[in-house]
Amino acid sequence: MSTLDQLSALTWNSLAEKPVIETGATVLAFWAATRLSRLGGSHPLLNPTLLAIIFISLGLEATHIPYETYLRGADTVHFMLGPAVVLLAVPLFRQRAVVRASARLIAVGLAVGLPVGVLSALGIAWALGASSQTILSLAPKSVTAGIAIGISEQIGGLKTLTIVLVIMTGITGAVLGPIIARLARVEDPRVVGLTMGIASHGIGTARALQISEVAGAFSGLGMSLNGILTAILLPLIWKML
Amino acid sequence: MLEQVARVLCWLSVGEIASRSGLLPLPAPVTGLILLYAELVTRGELPDDLGALADRLLQFLGMFFVPAGVGVIAHLNLLKAEAIPILAAIVGGTAATLFVTMVVVNRFGFAIANDQRRTSASLEGAARDVNS
Repeated sequence: MSTLDQLSALTWNSLAEKPVIETGATVLAFWAATRLSRLGGSHPLLNPTLLAIIFISLGLEATHIPYETYLRGADTVHFMLGPAVVLLAVPLFRQRAVVRASARLIAVGLAVGLPVGVLSALGIAWALGASSQTILSLAPKSVTAGIAIGISEQIGGLKTLTIVLVIMTGITGAVLGPIIARLARVEDPRVVGLTMGIASHGIGTARALQISEVAGAFSGLGMSLNGILTAILLPLIWKML
Repeated sequence: MLEQVARVLCWLSVGEIASRSGLLPLPAPVTGLILLYAELVTRGELPDDLGALADRLLQFLGMFFVPAGVGVIAHLNLLKAEAIPILAAIVGGTAATLFVTMVVVNRFGFAIANDQRRTSASLEGAARDVNS
């Protein structure tokens, strides 16, 4: 190894000890992804999280930096997920009047949407011969990513795989939601929003907000309540099996 | 603001303890969410700076799962090998969920609306009876 190589390795190591580069790269990638998404009119297919994941993955591939090294540095960003999920209590609290006024509608939506969401995905994956690890990682696919990671960990899925499946589900729901509403001749924005939130969490909610404010509010509620209920029920049922 | 940061981390820590001790089979942040919501309901109001903190942080929620999401590069082979069941489960499952839930909830929504119309109609009827 030449002196220059040693020197650059040394510099790299001392920098790699501190999370500046990985954190900076993650923020930069997400910023660029957000800009790109806005340029494309915030189309669901241009999901900023998915784009940022692709940017970082390509970057790691090009520089031959192992994922573990990156994650050690980007842990600062990963850490923020916990506090952010706790803060989901705030929008939920702001909407408490809506919850009370439409409690029965919301309860029916969850009673139908939650089990159909979990069982349809598991049933299809199982019937087509997916591995048990994939099936477990799919189980929380309709839940908002921050909560889904925790569920996947609890039941023994791969949390990194779960995140990507969650995002794919969100994009699918955001694209299909309005189309299926038209097919099913459902016009009530409360029903369309609530269902999109239950089936496709935050990405579906972003799309529902484009339909109307009411659809967006109900979608946010569907997402939060479905996330909490799934987190309570799925590990419990899993333990009983 | 510092008080609100402490509040959030405090509820998150309680969730962490409950989860690690095996007391609750819930992800720590979900326990924290429920506890913070319970506290807000008990107080009956939302502190202004807590609202500001939530708005600011939730704006970047999508960024916070990028580092974990990048981990999927370790599972690219799995994704490729099981692409068909995975895609079918996601697209088919999501479409089925959307359709079934919308149809059922919509029918139920009509039932409530009819129920309310009937209730108010019968109330009007009762009022007319009293007047006549």
